[in-house]
Amino acid sequence: MTDQDKTLAVITQFLTRADKSTDDVSPTTGLYGDGLELDSLEAAELSAMLEDEFGNDPFSSGDELPQTVGDILAFYEVAAPA
Amino acid sequence: MTAPEETRVALITGGSKGLGAGLVEAYLAAGYVVETCSRSATDQVDLWAKEFPDHFGFASVDVSDSAAADAWVKDVARRRGRIDVLVNNAGVAPEGVIALFSDDQIDQVVDLNIKGTAYVTRAASRVMLARRSGSIVNVSSVVGMSGYRGLSMYSATKAALDGMTRGLARELGSRGITVNSVAPGYLRTEMSHGLDETQLTQITRRTPAGRLGEPSDVARAVLFLTDPANTYITGQVLVVDGGLTA
Repeated sequence: MTDQDKTLAVITQFLTRADKSTDDVSPTTGLYGDGLELDSLEAAELSAMLEDEFGNDPFSSGDELPQTVGDILAFYEVAAPA
Repeated sequence: MTAPEETRVALITGGSKGLGAGLVEAYLAAGYVVETCSRSATDQVDLWAKEFPDHFGFASVDVSDSAAADAWVKDVARRRGRIDVLVNNAGVAPEGVIALFSDDQIDQVVDLNIKGTAYVTRAASRVMLARRSGSIVNVSSVVGMSGYRGLSMYSATKAALDGMTRGLARELGSRGITVNSVAPGYLRTEMSHGLDETQLTQITRRTPAGRLGEPSDVARAVLFLTDPANTYITGQVLVVDGGLTA
């Protein structure tokens, strides 16, 4: 399983337990508003699940908050050792 | 070391002495894995480490240091694999009239009692959110409700903790996390050393139970609120004061 697949698996696990659709989740899917419609607590929960799995997460990195699924995938691609 | 799946893990701040030590004793006796911290170890901490090598952990941490508090919680979560209970007990009670308080004294009580609680809770709530389960108890005080001459800043911080309790209960309730306060009355611990014998005698006389509290009195209430069966009690302040404020 690639890093991207692992990250998508955590996002899917989160969406499933949050009773949100896992259909059509792609890198361009927005996290808020018209996309996954995460509220602040849901964003915190996803952040915590990502940190639990990978040891860090893009929501707590101090950089700009991720806006799309692709931003989360990119965070771990950049963070991964070469 | 990661605890067995069935072993619940309690994080207790300020557990090296006084009420905190009573809380650690109670959770160890209840079969929990207990991780505690304070700014320095005590002989009691060393005794627990020998008696409960697999179930007890201690770290020298000043929880008013954001990075240190965060690192401690993350280290516990990594080693133990879970955090079921957080008891925010660490605090200081500087005694004196506010007209004579220095900036440093005000900062110290706010930094440890409020900000330290927030730092540890922030980190531990993330672990609990990932599991959608957990119980948090903030140790406040009856003086947060009634006030007490010479303890105005301490009273202010304890009232703040009760507010934090209510806000967090609403924030985290939908994720299976309960948050409550336990407000002890006057205990015979070093935290009451700022009160002279006349004051303690007066308090005892006014207390229906006819005595000062013991750490074990408070620990039983905290254990009750963090019992995994008690998921319908949240956002409350449970006063444990022998009836003093009834």
